[in-house]
Amino acid sequence: MKTLTKTILRSDELNCPSCVNNIESNLNSMEGIEKATVKFNSGKIEVDHNPELVTEDDLLAAVQQSGYSATVSPF
Amino acid sequence: MMTLFSQFTSMFKNPTSRKKILLIVSGISILSGWFFFGVMEATFTGNALMILAALVAGYEIIQKAWLGLKNRQTNIELLVSIAAIGGLLIGIYWESAAVTFLFLLGGWLESRTLQNTRKTLKNLVELVPETATIVREDETETIPAQEVEKDMLVQVKPGGRIPVDGKVESGESSVDESAITGESIPVDKKQGSKVFAGTINQNGRIFVRAGKAGADTTLAKIIRRVEEAQDAKAPTQRFIERFARWYTPGIVGLSVISFIITQNIELAITLLVIGCPGALVISTPISVITGIGRAAKEGILIKGGEYLENAGKISALAFDKTGTLTQGKPKVTEVFSLQSKKVPDGFEKEVESEITEDEVLYWAGIAESGSEHPLAKAILEEARNRQEVPEADSFQSYTGFGVSAGYLENEILVGNPSFMKEKNIRVDDEALQHIEALSGKGRTVVLVAKNGELIGGLGLFDTIRPDAPSAIRKLREIGIEELVMLTGDTDSTAQSIAEEVGIKTIYSRMFPEDKHKIIEQLKADGHRVAMVGDGINDALALTDADIGIAMGAAGTDVAIESADIALMADDLTKIPEALSISKLTLRNIRQNVVIALITVAALLTGVFAGEVHMAGGMLIHELSVMLVILNGMRLKWMK
Repeated sequence: MKTLTKTILRSDELNCPSCVNNIESNLNSMEGIEKATVKFNSGKIEVDHNPELVTEDDLLAAVQQSGYSATVSPF
Repeated sequence: MMTLFSQFTSMFKNPTSRKKILLIVSGISILSGWFFFGVMEATFTGNALMILAALVAGYEIIQKAWLGLKNRQTNIELLVSIAAIGGLLIGIYWESAAVTFLFLLGGWLESRTLQNTRKTLKNLVELVPETATIVREDETETIPAQEVEKDMLVQVKPGGRIPVDGKVESGESSVDESAITGESIPVDKKQGSKVFAGTINQNGRIFVRAGKAGADTTLAKIIRRVEEAQDAKAPTQRFIERFARWYTPGIVGLSVISFIITQNIELAITLLVIGCPGALVISTPISVITGIGRAAKEGILIKGGEYLENAGKISALAFDKTGTLTQGKPKVTEVFSLQSKKVPDGFEKEVESEITEDEVLYWAGIAESGSEHPLAKAILEEARNRQEVPEADSFQSYTGFGVSAGYLENEILVGNPSFMKEKNIRVDDEALQHIEALSGKGRTVVLVAKNGELIGGLGLFDTIRPDAPSAIRKLREIGIEELVMLTGDTDSTAQSIAEEVGIKTIYSRMFPEDKHKIIEQLKADGHRVAMVGDGINDALALTDADIGIAMGAAGTDVAIESADIALMADDLTKIPEALSISKLTLRNIRQNVVIALITVAALLTGVFAGEVHMAGGMLIHELSVMLVILNGMRLKWMK
């Protein structure tokens, strides 16, 4: 049985609501990620993932690949 | 050399600094391209530089377009990429360079300004200290703040931030609670006072018995609420998103059709450039983020864009009197003694009464010492403020009338005038005059008799909040004319409170279900109704109203999570403030939508009239986005 963790990232760089789709689909296509939601207004990125397959650094790299910087946030 | 190179690659990997590098390189290329065109008249070099600029700025855009395509999505970047590549193919190099550069510059500027807007929330998140100093058997230890467990003892030094929610165990200090309540004046804290994580301890060392830590603290709840509120889509936003969904494909279709008809490839790719509904899609979110953020900073939590829009349209406001307009705690405001004697023959000065006012209170206090009634508590509190009050030897309560008590051979009666009549106590003219004067002022009158004779009486009053009259005045100023007070009190009491605060419409002797009917009636009259309550015994009416406003929500999680608007502080003037922020935001959203729609219409007309070309189209588009963002940001400081 795999265990999922919820990691919250924040990016305050999102500049148009359509970039949300870019980040979301990029994250969702990764193995080990159950669900990723990007909230444009608050700049919050919520990811449910299997920490053994995808680490926090992997998540940050994926967001960076989509063209935005993010940081991990406690809540 | 190697370090310089690796430094450069790491800068290039970071999206933020990469954007900057690309912008600078392509900007310089465009400028020098113009130099070769204009001054050197070297068209070839000029064109080459423009192509370079387009490719450099386009790198980022094409990458995002490609990423979108891989995920089977068409995005704005794809349209811009097609337009820029098309431009290069048909030889309009400068236009391609300008389009990509402007798009990148616009995006960068937008990020920068939006960063600024999102800062309110970021600041809140950063308020909570990461560590807490706990005390265990006289030794201190520093642990992560979210690992503090309930009932641990936390030490907070002067100037330090409080890391957890809890109660002061020992020590005294004043605490700046502006993070929670928006009030900048520090609040005094002593043993037993509640303190919140994220607030600043000012001048004394205190020890706090931890209640909640980490994500359970009031501040964390506020942050979550604000975020959810900002992300909840306002009705206008939903409408615009529906519009945007067909707008972009519509423009692409239009571009293809006009190419087929006119065979004009430049017109077709120009249409693609203006096909991004940038200003439209950002028009509502930017106002909502800024409006809700500004409100949160002042201790006003608004549940979401929808509520913000609704609150902006409020035309009637109903107050549940107790606990909102008044303090919710009755107090003794007058004491009178009946057994004072005038000095005969010309002396106008009154001699010392045989029974002083303090004595009236003393006997009333003894009689009420056994009672749990709110009025009894108020009487006892006032009596104890003035002197020692012993407990009664015997005690009997007559619900709705008064109490009788015995103390050291004395029989005491305390109650309303009908209670005295019942007990055959003579109420003379002087007493009647006092009763009339006090009820006229809206006081609840309580008489005191000792050993069969009336000795005096008390006037009690649930005092209004000092800020109530100014809050009511401000509400009228911002155009809310229909102000209504609902109360379970008697007419005369309600009347005098209403007069004092400045409300003309009163409904007295109300039961909870009556309050609900009044709200329904106001709605039926065509009003958008807000209801203000303390959230405890007016839940029904609060949910009935278009907007339910709960006061003093800092200590009650239910209010933070459920009220449409929660005021963290016990401050009535926050109500007009909340409503005026909502009104301003609503107006701001409308302005932004108008700006965005006008831009779209003007661009389309301009393109078909042949007046607007690729570079100009992109410039206007980016300018409109910036204009909308800056207009939204005005909400931060607008009055």
